Amino acid sequence: MSNCQFIDPLVSPFVDGELPEADRRVVEDHLRACPPCHSRVRAEQTVHTLIRARAEALKPPAPEPLRARCQALCAHADAEAAPHLHPPLNRLPGASLVAARRAWAPRLAPYALAASLTIVVGSAFVYQATDKSVHLLAAELTADHVKCMAMNRAFGTQHQPAVVESAMASGFDWRMHLPDNPASADLELVGSRPCLYGEGKVAHIMYRHHGRQVSLFMLPKASRAQQLVRVLGHEAAIWCVGNRTFVLVARESRPEVERLASYVKAALH
Amino acid sequence: MAPRQGLPVVSPAFEAEALASLDSLYRAALRLTRRPADAEDLVQETYLKAFRAADQFEPGTNLRAWLFTILHNTARNRARDRARDTVSIDSEIVDRAADAPPLAGRSLGAAETPESLLMRDTLTPELQAAIDALPETFRQAVWLRDVEEFSYAEIAEMLSIPVGTVMSRISRGRHQLFERLSHLRPVNV
Repeated sequence: MSNCQFIDPLVSPFVDGELPEADRRVVEDHLRACPPCHSRVRAEQTVHTLIRARAEALKPPAPEPLRARCQALCAHADAEAAPHLHPPLNRLPGASLVAARRAWAPRLAPYALAASLTIVVGSAFVYQATDKSVHLLAAELTADHVKCMAMNRAFGTQHQPAVVESAMASGFDWRMHLPDNPASADLELVGSRPCLYGEGKVAHIMYRHHGRQVSLFMLPKASRAQQLVRVLGHEAAIWCVGNRTFVLVARESRPEVERLASYVKAALH
Repeated sequence: MAPRQGLPVVSPAFEAEALASLDSLYRAALRLTRRPADAEDLVQETYLKAFRAADQFEPGTNLRAWLFTILHNTARNRARDRARDTVSIDSEIVDRAADAPPLAGRSLGAAETPESLLMRDTLTPELQAAIDALPETFRQAVWLRDVEEFSYAEIAEMLSIPVGTVMSRISRGRHQLFERLSHLRPVNV
């Protein structure tokens, strides 16, 4: 039995028929003399043959909607990425991506951003809203902003105010009333999403402002000093009401973001 | 395929060839995540990365294997990011644990031929369930080899492990599958 170990590394290639002839003979000789090893190899051979025979049945096709989404991704991958997003690309596995070198069209930037931002911040997301530095918090929410907007564009979400209000009440116990007349601030409601990040503890309401996306995040039980942070090419306005922290993220000029934030702050009940 | 012409743009040929692997990537993702929603998410991220890095693909090499490498790297990073202790379960510990008890010891009478019974009686859903129940490291290795038919070297590259480890995981994965499936057969106690 003690010399059985020598065939350990040879069993897979033996079963797969990839052993050189000389090694193959050595294994066969051993198997003839060793019933336990013989059984072992036969067992593995059987499983190999069984899986090969059933391989086709084990292969359900990918869902059609997934196929459509992946095709859409290809179209958007040709688009542009914001040039200031170089650092996130370093974290890609294997060969680093070169997408940052491209000249990306602003229209499609969210898709490109979504991947790179998700990668860079993904590892940081065991969310402790109160522990994060403001900059990191803003970066994470900006990443989420970009990703949600990209997903939203793909899914074509459009929610009515009542739907969003009800989602906030049921999801976050936040009985709020959306601004009555967002058009007065050139805002158009897009909808809400349960945030992938923050273990679902962050509320996310999306608007459009002159065709560009604006995100409003609400973090329950978190308090932050009011400030405006520039991160990843976006501005994040942060303020606090009671025990809720609000973060408005947009790729707009600083004064414009301040204007939007003060409008939302005043109009959100 | 002409991935290196001026700016890196995804050529229609690259796109078509990449998307031709969608079914196998999705299945591999399903085996990795075991949840359809997570699998879809993983596949989408894989394609997004692949399309954006299309100009880094070396023409003439195996595009399907390249996509699988991205898929596995992405899955591995996600697992790491979740910072769950499953990472240690996925490591060499499993290999060593599987090594510990000698695999030999049972004597199967030739007349019983549990192998032929297994071949004849195993239902595909049973096989699927048994594969899904394998430790992740073994599941990946067996799946990539026996279902997707990648070479040992390709699998080693995808999983970032030595070829010897690939072969050993395949062997142990197959053996565990045999044990699990055999236990479903009353004749082979």
